[in-house]
Amino acid sequence: MSARSRRRIGARGREAGTALLFLLPLFVLVVGLIIYPFYRAIWLSLTDKLVGYPERFVGIRNYTYLAQDDAFQQVIWNSMVFTVASVALKVVTGLAMALVLNNVIRGRNFLRGLFLLPWITSTVIIALTWRWMFDAFPGRGFLNSFLLDVGLLSRPVAFMATPAGAMTAVVIANWWRAFPFFGVSFLAGMVSIPRELYEAASVDGASAGRRFWHITLPGLKHVIIVTTLLSFILTINDFNIIYVMTRGGPGTATQVFATYSYQVAFNQLRWGRGVTISIFVVPILVVGIVLISRYLLRDRR
Amino acid sequence: MTRVLTWLGLVVFLLLILVPFWWIASMSFKTYEQIQFAVSIYVPHPFTWENYTGLWTDTRFPLWLRNSLVTALVVTLITSVVASLGGYAVARLRFPGREAVASLILILYLIPPALLFIPLYRVLTELGATNGLSALFLSYPTFTVPFCTWLLIGFFKALPEELEEAALIDGAGRVTAFVRVLLPLAAPGLVASAIFAFTLSWNEFLYALVFITDETRITVPVGLNLLIYGDVFHWGQLMAASVITTIPVVALYIFIHRWMAEGLVAGSVKG
Repeated sequence: MSARSRRRIGARGREAGTALLFLLPLFVLVVGLIIYPFYRAIWLSLTDKLVGYPERFVGIRNYTYLAQDDAFQQVIWNSMVFTVASVALKVVTGLAMALVLNNVIRGRNFLRGLFLLPWITSTVIIALTWRWMFDAFPGRGFLNSFLLDVGLLSRPVAFMATPAGAMTAVVIANWWRAFPFFGVSFLAGMVSIPRELYEAASVDGASAGRRFWHITLPGLKHVIIVTTLLSFILTINDFNIIYVMTRGGPGTATQVFATYSYQVAFNQLRWGRGVTISIFVVPILVVGIVLISRYLLRDRR
Repeated sequence: MTRVLTWLGLVVFLLLILVPFWWIASMSFKTYEQIQFAVSIYVPHPFTWENYTGLWTDTRFPLWLRNSLVTALVVTLITSVVASLGGYAVARLRFPGREAVASLILILYLIPPALLFIPLYRVLTELGATNGLSALFLSYPTFTVPFCTWLLIGFFKALPEELEEAALIDGAGRVTAFVRVLLPLAAPGLVASAIFAFTLSWNEFLYALVFITDETRITVPVGLNLLIYGDVFHWGQLMAASVITTIPVVALYIFIHRWMAEGLVAGSVKG
């Protein structure tokens, strides 16, 4: 033990040197391709940069413009509806999935793996898949094919043609992709709740509903908070599903932060304003990141 | 009662997960006429491979597949080197600011790509790296490296310290101890991290869409997006392309799914 600690003290300086060497590639990458671009983003948001023209400093004009822009108000509202609706659905379905799998003894690992398939599939393919599920044309659209076939519809419906229909479709696609992840995370949490708690509650005559409410949910609190926060951050920044399914349409009915930012920057070629749109998300992101870091860094210690 | 509910729930979830996959897969085996006239809705009958062969000969899909593969392999290699070095340093070496570096890596992992695509495009343009796969080699590590480093920190921390101590006492330097002792022990973690890096690159869409416009240099997800909005009526080919693209990821996933489900509960995969 003493040899070990003596060695430690002697080697401390060298260890820091080695650490610097080992971390160097990471630092170069982070500074050059994350921190520097982020700094550039802040600068761009203070200019009126149009593609092909030199940028001019305009102060906070992009921010004030967006704050008064009706289209952007719509984007904020859409992003909130999209995020809150899909995350809430994910939590509820995830709980149901975890409860079901928790009761399965044989084949649980297999089913858990199978249920996670949407989570590992490319989001572009998932978006394409749900576009076809909802497609107005019966040969391609599963819902139309199926409902016509069983006689619940008499002629095809263009599900995604209305603003509400399009929003529902993108929420469902986003939910379908991620709820298995919630289910598997919640299952891992459920398995770690001590069995004695349930046995004691059963002896005291607590019903299944009360056991769920008073034992399962409190036991899952931590994992529910972490997965919800994580999913919130990812969902509010979603680009792939909405871009591929609706391009933000019909009109601006499903336009969210990332797709709007892309549209302004690459269709209207207004880079300054496009960047400003993504910077509006930063405060939400910071709150989310601070909360998650607290939980996850505590876990690591 | 619980048994009935469990069975019922299981059936509902199985249908929910499998029907969309089945719909795509079955359409990839239907002829144009079968799709057009909505016949043999649930099971392709007769069954045809023409979409797969057509995809291979009539479209640029093989080229896109090659681009995706090259990108994913290069990014996985870069990521494995950078993340294993960084993960080891944070997990095992004592230096001032270690906790701060660990927090920074977590924060970087949580930054969504949608935040940085415009300024990153400018930076890549200045480096002369847009409109080619090199744009992706440079930009994908911005999300794969923080994630894989975070993963490997946990992995290196869990390895027994005594083995490394023994190597050091025997006179090996830190670098030798890392290469000879720690890396082989961490092999399962490195494999998992490599698979995640590969999958994240393989599935990525936004950066590839923004940074590359040349149709011969795009990756599969961007190509699929082109096909769906192009004036192409080869619906079956599009489905076949989706099936082919999903297969490698599923194959890799079979290796790590148990580890993925039981390991890091929060933040196993980003996407």
